[in-house]
Amino acid sequence: MALATTRRRLLTGGAALSWFLVNGSWLCMSAAQARVAGFSPQKLTDEQCTTLEILADELVPGARDAGIAAFIDSQLTAGEESLLIAKYLGVPAPQQLGFYQAALDSGTRLLATQDLSAAFAIELISKDEVLNWEGAPASFFSFVLRADALDVVYGTEHGFEQLGIPYMAHISPQEAW
Amino acid sequence: MKSDGAGMDSPDTIIVGAGAAGLLLAARLAETGRRVTVLEAGPKRSTSDLISSQIWARRLKWSGPHVEELGDHKVGHAFNAGFGTGGSAVHHYGVWLRLHRGDFSVASDHGVGLDWPLDYDTLRAHYDSVQSEVGLSGDAEAEVWRPDGADYPMPPLPIFAQGRVLKKGFDKTGRRTAPLPLAINSQPYQGRAACQYDGWCDAGCPIGALANPLVTWLPRAQEAGVHIEHNAFVNRVLRDPNKASRITGVEYFQAGERHSLHAQQVIIAAFTVQSARILLSSADNNRPAPGNQFDQLGRYLTSHPAGTVFGLFDEETYPHQGVSGGQLISHDDYDKKNQGAAFGSSQWLIAHAIKPHDLLGYGTGRPDISGEKLKPWLQDAARHIGNMTLVAEDIAKPENRISLSGQRDVNGIALARTEHNLDTRTAQLWEQRIAEGQDIMRAAGAREVWHGPRVAMHIMGGTVMGNDEKLSVTDSYGRVHDTDNLYVSGPSLFPSSGAVNPTFTLSAIASRQAEHLTKQAD
Ligand SMILES: Cc1cc2nc3c(=O)[nH]c(=O)nc-3n(C[C@H](O)[C@H](O)[C@H](O)COP(=O)(O)OP(=O)(O)OC[C@H]3O[C@@H](n4cnc5c(N)ncnc54)[C@H](O)[C@@H]3O)c2cc1C
Ligand code: SF4
Repeated sequence: MALATTRRRLLTGGAALSWFLVNGSWLCMSAAQARVAGFSPQKLTDEQCTTLEILADELVPGARDAGIAAFIDSQLTAGEESLLIAKYLGVPAPQQLGFYQAALDSGTRLLATQDLSAAFAIELISKDEVLNWEGAPASFFSFVLRADALDVVYGTEHGFEQLGIPYMAHISPQEAW
Repeated sequence: MKSDGAGMDSPDTIIVGAGAAGLLLAARLAETGRRVTVLEAGPKRSTSDLISSQIWARRLKWSGPHVEELGDHKVGHAFNAGFGTGGSAVHHYGVWLRLHRGDFSVASDHGVGLDWPLDYDTLRAHYDSVQSEVGLSGDAEAEVWRPDGADYPMPPLPIFAQGRVLKKGFDKTGRRTAPLPLAINSQPYQGRAACQYDGWCDAGCPIGALANPLVTWLPRAQEAGVHIEHNAFVNRVLRDPNKASRITGVEYFQAGERHSLHAQQVIIAAFTVQSARILLSSADNNRPAPGNQFDQLGRYLTSHPAGTVFGLFDEETYPHQGVSGGQLISHDDYDKKNQGAAFGSSQWLIAHAIKPHDLLGYGTGRPDISGEKLKPWLQDAARHIGNMTLVAEDIAKPENRISLSGQRDVNGIALARTEHNLDTRTAQLWEQRIAEGQDIMRAAGAREVWHGPRVAMHIMGGTVMGNDEKLSVTDSYGRVHDTDNLYVSGPSLFPSSGAVNPTFTLSAIASRQAEHLTKQAD
């Protein structure tokens, strides 16, 4: 019942829902709620999720709270149905997991550098100036991650509202991302 | 191999692909009494699937086997191709333009690319009939560069703030504009609603204001009894072992199982890359692929080099208003193809309704703005940005081609591979026009101007039509040269690209094909 109420409220608010594993149960909620509820990632490690949140939030403030890690992790389980923008940018669904894992592991190593701020990390990444970066070029990863973060923060009805844009949906997004 | 899928007992015609070309042909042929089955690789879609979200819209794109892409101007198959009923046309922007007369004879006139085996006058009646069937809005008189043709059935869409602001730049630099002709209803048309100017066309128009095949050809095809088999991925055409020119049907995969379906006639309308891939996959040990006797199959692949110019204004532009395709058009430089170091026609599509995110969004295109500066910048842009897109002509070259990759998909079918490099004259044209576009933006009063990268818009060629069998794959009706009953439809037939969006022309060609096939059957 509680879940049904939550779902109805979310639909009214136009937030997009997906299924997340929270404390051993699959719950239907938005990526932002999944984050607050402490969802268990299915494809990424906790460490990769933490790096993802730090970098994405630096690029697009609000990405962490909007549930960037839950969004990307859930899309990585979606196979050919993945809605990640990487699909347009030459990273087809079967390669997306490897793409994020390699970059996030490189990002984790970079963030472990003593006294390195997230802002400086992003500067190095976007200029391809990270030593021993693995996977796709760092600047390309930063472009994709910024686009993902724009999706979760500003690509929703709530995001449009923050920018003062009327959403004017014909059919509102109601189900999972 | 299983023969004949359920509900598909021996059709007269098999059409591969339920997109813009395939559904037009299906409707027209079935309405003359032919039994038609359409095999569609993607899922069944209806207008209720067209959710207003750029993120959700990605589901509508190609999700079949990956296409390997090479070259300095990759064709962008994942973005440009669709999947499921309606194909990529399900969420196309409805910019419907006729090719200009000179586009049909670039080889004779300028010594580049290929000529078409038909001219504008041959297609004119089909442009006219298709436009009244699907419904176009525009102002033919204001389009001073438009080749002769019937007036549009509906008046143009309104011009909103962004269009008015950008028009000043064209006026001040001595360039003419006209309302953009669109396959979008400016008023109710044939039972379909008028546009609401909310800018969701890129995610698909569920109210039917935009003439996508789900609301134009599909209902007619269904009414005429066409059977559409979804999730049916066609691998190759089947040939009569005793008569190579005779095509007996197609082989396709559905849920991992191999099937065959037979018919008197087969039409491949699977969009450019897949159409060529299906023919290439149909070679066997003894015989080259249909249409490939002279190694022409897959060649002359073209894609319009495009780019968007942006400007930030003090004036309010309200860029969320309008339609994704734009509000105005300028073809002033279109017919000046030969310009020394640069070659080709080009057009400006002006004042698109635009979103903050997604590939074409204004936020995505400015990776230099992030962190705390981002939100105020986006808030400013959400009220003050202007944008317009350059579409330039590509030169058809034999070395730009679709071929088979060494890699295979889960069913063991060779993947398609594309190689596409721009001619230096085309690259020069793009640079020149993008620089002019920025001047136009400044003249319109923009306080800040920038442009996006060069991108590939539309995919054409690969199974080009022509009179000379040694330089083409099909005749002017799309019949594959060395076959009796195998046809191709869609932009893969285009011998040269022109610089206009291709769907009106490919629809006019499909209309001519339908008329020809009907006459042949009588
Ligand atoms: C974002 C966007 C905006 C656009 N806007 C415009 C515009 O404003 N104006 C314009 O003129 N054009 C526009 N286009 C281009 C337009 O969509 C295409 O030119 C047009 O849809 C091509 O028609 P088609 O029938 O050849 O292919 P499609 O409409 O793509 O249909 C091909 C169908 O074949 C199916 N198929 C592919 N392979 C197989 C196989 N092996 N077996 C079975 N089925 C298969 C596909 O799943 C698809 O459904 C736009 C395209 C995009 C992506
Ligand atoms: S702007 Fe018009 S054509 Fe585009 S989706 Fe909305 S109603 Fe349809």
